[in-house]
Amino acid sequence: MAVAERKTDIGPPDFHQFLAPIIKKNYGKWAYHEIPEPGVMVHVAESGDKLYTVRAGTPRLLSIVTIRAFADLADTYCDGYLRWTSRHNVEFLLTKKENIEPLKADLHKMGFPVGGTGNSISSIVHTQGWVHCHSSATDASGVVKSIMDELYPHFVNMDLPAKLRIAFACCLNMCGAVHCSDISVLGLHRKPPRIDHENLPKLCEIPTLVSSCPTGAIRPATWEGDPSVEVDESQCMFCGNCYTVCPAMQINNAETDGISIWVGGKVSNARHTPMFSKLVIPFIPNNPPRWPEVVEAVVNIVNVYAKHARKHERVGEWIERIGWPQFFKLTGIPFTKYHIDDFKHAGETYMRTTQLRH
Amino acid sequence: MSEKKRATPLLDELKKGPWPSFVREIEKSAETNAMARDTLGQVERSYEDKISHWKHGGLVGVMGYGGGIIGRYSDLPEEYPEVAAFHTYRVNQPSGWFYTSDILRTLCDIWERHGSGLTNMHGSTGDIIFLGSKTEELEPCFRDLTEHGFDLGGSGSDVRTPSACVGPARCEWACYDTLDACNDITHTYQDELHRPAFPYKFKFKFSGCPNDCVASIARSDMSVIGVWKDNIQIDQEKVREYAANGTDIEHEVCQMCPTQCMAWDGTKLTIDNANCVKCMHCINVMPKALRPGKERGATILIGAKAPIIGGALLATVFVPFLEMKPPYDDIKELAEAIWDFWGEYGKNRERVGEFIQRVGLGNFLEEIGLDPIPEMVAHPRTNPYIFFEDELEEEEDA
Amino acid sequence: MGQPTVDEVANAMFDLVKATHGKKNLKAMDLTKAMIEKFGADAVDKKLCKLAIRQLIDSGRCIYSYFGGSFITLPPENEGGG
Repeated sequence: MAVAERKTDIGPPDFHQFLAPIIKKNYGKWAYHEIPEPGVMVHVAESGDKLYTVRAGTPRLLSIVTIRAFADLADTYCDGYLRWTSRHNVEFLLTKKENIEPLKADLHKMGFPVGGTGNSISSIVHTQGWVHCHSSATDASGVVKSIMDELYPHFVNMDLPAKLRIAFACCLNMCGAVHCSDISVLGLHRKPPRIDHENLPKLCEIPTLVSSCPTGAIRPATWEGDPSVEVDESQCMFCGNCYTVCPAMQINNAETDGISIWVGGKVSNARHTPMFSKLVIPFIPNNPPRWPEVVEAVVNIVNVYAKHARKHERVGEWIERIGWPQFFKLTGIPFTKYHIDDFKHAGETYMRTTQLRH
Repeated sequence: MSEKKRATPLLDELKKGPWPSFVREIEKSAETNAMARDTLGQVERSYEDKISHWKHGGLVGVMGYGGGIIGRYSDLPEEYPEVAAFHTYRVNQPSGWFYTSDILRTLCDIWERHGSGLTNMHGSTGDIIFLGSKTEELEPCFRDLTEHGFDLGGSGSDVRTPSACVGPARCEWACYDTLDACNDITHTYQDELHRPAFPYKFKFKFSGCPNDCVASIARSDMSVIGVWKDNIQIDQEKVREYAANGTDIEHEVCQMCPTQCMAWDGTKLTIDNANCVKCMHCINVMPKALRPGKERGATILIGAKAPIIGGALLATVFVPFLEMKPPYDDIKELAEAIWDFWGEYGKNRERVGEFIQRVGLGNFLEEIGLDPIPEMVAHPRTNPYIFFEDELEEEEDA
Repeated sequence: MGQPTVDEVANAMFDLVKATHGKKNLKAMDLTKAMIEKFGADAVDKKLCKLAIRQLIDSGRCIYSYFGGSFITLPPENEGGG
């Protein structure tokens, strides 16, 4: 059989070939948009053309069975044109208004909720967890599913003061870059790697292992006469990079791994400048399959925010207005020494004014 | 053995509830695919043990490339033989994640032929993720992808797959063509994307306006955020319409403006545009009445990253305003100047943002040939430890 | 000594990777700096080294690896297909 010539460096396909005719015609000439109902947007062009978008949440992990079903829906209702958002939502791009309701009904039947627009909670941006990652301190998909089951009403309604963005990462490598979200759920390892000295020389190349440590905490050593390594535990910040390189450096720990919660970050430049998320709950143990303590903590924060924030105020803006002491009081979350920064430039986060609420 | 479905009582709990279930997704593929069946088994085992059962593999890839494949192995290969090797592909998505039904079916067919049938739409950086391939399928799957017009994305110490917001395809706020810029840059830097030659990763992200829907200011080494220079376009009639329909313009718009540059007298909205910082709030609240100005371009910011290793960083302003026209030579020149300096002196795993902090922003600018301007800092230094250079003395001597 | 060819630089790089194998991981820039030192900045530049690395990888003599950073290493002895 003739083998086709091997191609490389062709890059991604040109997006133009996947754009609907209405998009090609009105490219760069959109006048405004409205959100007539949760999960439905209409973009009106200067030409007067209207493009209807129906947005549905997905679990990010999709079988090709589902992707083909989405393709069939797109053929039925919008000439085959669809896209995904940066938050794992699928969007169908319709020119016929009358197709919105039947499409929504079909998505509902398939179990994909329509929503995630305006002042709602959109899908959680998240990582692989136990489904595919080696260094995860917790699962990702299961925690996200459990949280979204409870926050579902806020996905299909637009009933919050502002949009609320949740992100999840299963270890502090943060493939999901959760450091700037309204609520961040972050898996943590809390113990240095356990060294399997017996198997280490067989499984791993020691210079590679030593150079893998970002803080230089791993050094060559001998163990019972054989080459191995030692870890300066005071320098370890539990990133798991050594485990990436060497399976004999087990970082995962069923007993001590778990989840932390951070709030008040944002990336948008609207009103307040972009902000990092700040620690509010240092640790919650893993409790699969549904992590009820994590779900309860997130729901509590959402509820307190929804009750107290002003219209258009993101979580971080609300907290900045009322102050952190008030946030801890309203949410009932205990403040501990772990909340106080002790990394580089930690002093910049200490309160140095008498401007306090009494 | 993997022919029949194992009992998964813990994962079954995650099929309950209104949010779509990833367990059901794995089950859908497991009906016809043995790798997906063993995935279910191994994930159930993780739920029992409260620990991951995957190992990393750093040596797999396709011929000639150093990125695009993430090696993955089971640590229980005897029990779950079908996922003994379970590598990930990062497939470079089309700009803006636009598809047709036909191209999606093509991707599904490719992935049915070569792997588990499980995907992520999409990965955190933006790639189409094919989850789970055996080692011997890597090269055939790659050939199949390229035959159909797709290529791999980045991983490791290279240009990572750039991504862009929906841009002018569907957004009235796009201040430049994010989709075209993303596509152009990605094609220009194919070599840098596939053949890792940097100290660490380098990400480009393209957002059309300061709402920054792809989080570029928090996540990318080069963040390109659309902005305008001139006046916000106002349709006073529509402003009154918003007011009549219940928008409290004084409280919701004027008082929430970060520079307090707006005034509303009940019939007319006035904006002191010279003091507008283009935050988007008023435009977000009244999209029918307000639009970005007509003189459009982008702000270029450098050096954002997540915490590993030296702490999280937001990006720093390098160029306050740049016209964004193909072939985007200014952006490319800036990127290449950065790569030249950081590439030579950056340490392994040191992102550009960390490198800038180590050498100092002032020195960094000098090396890449940019003049320092006040837009680059929140405020000038507050400490007196200035490292004066020789030129000052020479001037005094003269 | 005149300007070395791409092949000559690639061969010199291969020798270096072999010599340091198991002792030190080399990144593309490490190889580039070593070649500039070996042949002189007048004889080789970053561009030539880039071509040589491509030659080295495309010929199958070396592969890219990822060990908390991308390196250029010898292919594994046992596992085919990667």
